[in-house]
Amino acid sequence: MKVSYDWLRSYIPSAPSAEKLAEIFTYHISEVESVEKRGDDTIFEIKILPNRAHDLLSHLGIARELASLLNIEFKDPTGLYKIPVSVPTQLKIENKTPVCRRYMGRIIRDVKIGASPDWVQKHLESIGQRSINNIVDASNIVMFDCGQPTHCFDLDKVKGKITVRAAKDGEAMTTLDNKEVKLNSSNIVIADDAGILAIAGVKGGKRAEVDAQTKNIIVEVANFEPASVRKTAKAVGILTDAVKRYENDLSPELCGFAMKELCGLFVEYGIQNFEEIVDVYPLPQKPRKISFSASRISSILGLKISPSEIENILKQYHIEYTTAKDDFEIIVPPLRLDLEREEDMAEEIVRVIGYDKIPAEIPTIDFKAKHNEIYERVSRARNSLIREGYTEVMTYAFRNKGEVEVLESASDKKFLRDNLTDGLKESIKLNQANAPLLGESEIKIFEIGTVFGKGKEEIHVAYGNKKEIKEIILEAFCKNLPASVVSDIPKTDDAKITFKMWSLFPFIVRDIALWVPEAISSQDIVKIIRENMRELVVRGPELFDTFTKEGKTSYGFRLIFQSYEKTLSDPEVNAVMEKITEKLNATSGWQVR
Amino acid sequence: MQMEDFDQKRIHAHPITKVADDTYTIFSEMGFEIVSGPELETEHYNFDALNVPKDHPARDMQDTFWVKNKPGTVLRTHTTNVTARALEQANKNGVLPYACLSIGKVYRNEATDATHEMQFFQIDGAMIGENISLAHLKGALTNFYKKMLGPEIEIEFRPSFFPFTEPSIEVFAKFKGAWLEMMGAGMIHPNVLKNLGLDPKKVQGFAFGGGLDRIAMIKYGIDDVRLFYSGDLRLVNQF
Repeated sequence: MKVSYDWLRSYIPSAPSAEKLAEIFTYHISEVESVEKRGDDTIFEIKILPNRAHDLLSHLGIARELASLLNIEFKDPTGLYKIPVSVPTQLKIENKTPVCRRYMGRIIRDVKIGASPDWVQKHLESIGQRSINNIVDASNIVMFDCGQPTHCFDLDKVKGKITVRAAKDGEAMTTLDNKEVKLNSSNIVIADDAGILAIAGVKGGKRAEVDAQTKNIIVEVANFEPASVRKTAKAVGILTDAVKRYENDLSPELCGFAMKELCGLFVEYGIQNFEEIVDVYPLPQKPRKISFSASRISSILGLKISPSEIENILKQYHIEYTTAKDDFEIIVPPLRLDLEREEDMAEEIVRVIGYDKIPAEIPTIDFKAKHNEIYERVSRARNSLIREGYTEVMTYAFRNKGEVEVLESASDKKFLRDNLTDGLKESIKLNQANAPLLGESEIKIFEIGTVFGKGKEEIHVAYGNKKEIKEIILEAFCKNLPASVVSDIPKTDDAKITFKMWSLFPFIVRDIALWVPEAISSQDIVKIIRENMRELVVRGPELFDTFTKEGKTSYGFRLIFQSYEKTLSDPEVNAVMEKITEKLNATSGWQVR
Repeated sequence: MQMEDFDQKRIHAHPITKVADDTYTIFSEMGFEIVSGPELETEHYNFDALNVPKDHPARDMQDTFWVKNKPGTVLRTHTTNVTARALEQANKNGVLPYACLSIGKVYRNEATDATHEMQFFQIDGAMIGENISLAHLKGALTNFYKKMLGPEIEIEFRPSFFPFTEPSIEVFAKFKGAWLEMMGAGMIHPNVLKNLGLDPKKVQGFAFGGGLDRIAMIKYGIDDVRLFYSGDLRLVNQF
């Protein structure tokens, strides 16, 4: 979620610097994906954790959290919203589904559609939202401010009463952005006597859109069950900011504040004619309690937390509590749907005091681990093959044919492999082509991995070369192994490993052979080749042939040319070879063949 | 390349195998039991037992491979399924305290690029007992990363959320001056303990899980995860 530093500061004027705030988010709240300066403001992209989406997908929520966390002043806006005396209303709302947990509606008359005040436009633009008109903007501001989606209908386009109900199969609606959506009975909609006005919690419809001519509106502030909103949004393929909030579950208690805030904004616009709120709220959210003890929390964290430390945190967070010695009972704040049990309180407390306070203590437990036979077999099989000169490779588990198929895949290969051989063949082909580059005369590889047959998975071992590949079940392979093969794999020393990504351009192989007097060692020749071969040689000079005849020795060397920047041409390589030849021939008694 | 090496077969280890073996060794030394389990898994052990809600986005076909004609079967999305099975079995056998570690291939239905693969390896482990705490988790993981990446490594916990742990944390390691996200971890959620037949009033413990490929990439400076599964000796022969 995009969070404006200026917006936050309107609630917590003594907030620390944006830079410091980013660090506080990271270590006490959630990950900051980016921090961006925009004019005088700073915009944070914060990845609010799913369990805090109930209360933190909002500027007010984040400001409230920060004020408690940092124990700084919080300017509560609740008292600022003053609504003129409301007149009785004829608005009728019928809720026909338990998916809708609360529906507040209010008719407001004599609104004037126009541009929003500057500060509203600025707030919206700061978090990447487009300003539309004063009414729609107010609704958006409320969502990004307190987290509660709201919606405004043009009253004069609504026929009869508002009903919250399941859609009829095949019923359709045109969205505000002119998308035709087909619905069915598992989707919840807001309707009037003429049909659908909006898809509940997802998107408003075109028919009762607030436009430049709108005079009177109905404000909707509602709460819907998360699973239903998520399912419908997915089915119709519409993901809105409202969906994001509803699908994470909001407290129906938030509706009241949102209605107050939205109407408060309208008053600020100069709107005066408010009717009474119709509030359909059949099962009000009950207050919940959690009991926990300081000693249990200390035991979970592995860090001694005293009752007074806990009390301080509860006070900072304005959480009502009772305590006796070590034990606490709290009344969970209505929006904190994430707090359900003692373990949640352990998290809450350590999050506030900081995870860095937890000591690192290596555990010692009284337990004797059993041997893992599968691991031992895999290790023995691997060890025996490595000792026979095979090298381990890993290939893909997904193929375009097999016994087991997956329902949906981001790739075109939808089957799981039923053998290792097919993958190994491809690997041999690839490596055989690179054999000179690898400095290997013969490619010998193996793979140990799971294959998926009809109704079962099993681990196979496959090994071979370009002529033949053998594949058998791991158990069978191990049965044939002599007892002398153990599971200790020969180790390659980490200190000697320096991985370098290879060039993706083709390589060129060149051999050079020469006669030298018998006394000359290959090292002397290597030195001269090295001095003249330039950086284009990625492998070599490697001695591949030596023989001595009549007091003279013939040495054959192989050089592999390859560039990281381009495909090398023959003339480029020839030029290097010619230079090497010339330098070698320059020594008396040396003769390139 | 030294010329003496020519045509003389050297011993190479696949980098994934190398990191896996070192991981097994380090955790075995701390008393963890090496465990293994199936790659084709029931919805129960992959999601339900782990307290992942029925309508959780992770269960979508866009993220998880569901097996055709076998309702309720998935390609495991983490090796936490192995941890779940091992904890359940240990409890049945009356083994407590208990600690286990598994490394295995896991599958995610996502488009591949240099940092994302449909298949990769995961390290997953847990320890349960009467007083196993977040401090023990920090101790075990600090020891692991120091041995794996070097004694100068620092680790830190940051707030996170997973359905299977509470408190939940993200483990970061400071490697060559940069803080890198390494693992998800936390204290095993009481619902998970209950689902596995354990009594959360008597037993508590930590669990952790993270990509093995990522450790290999960081440790050896490999910047494309796809290389591991390409069957290419230009990779393996460097190890």
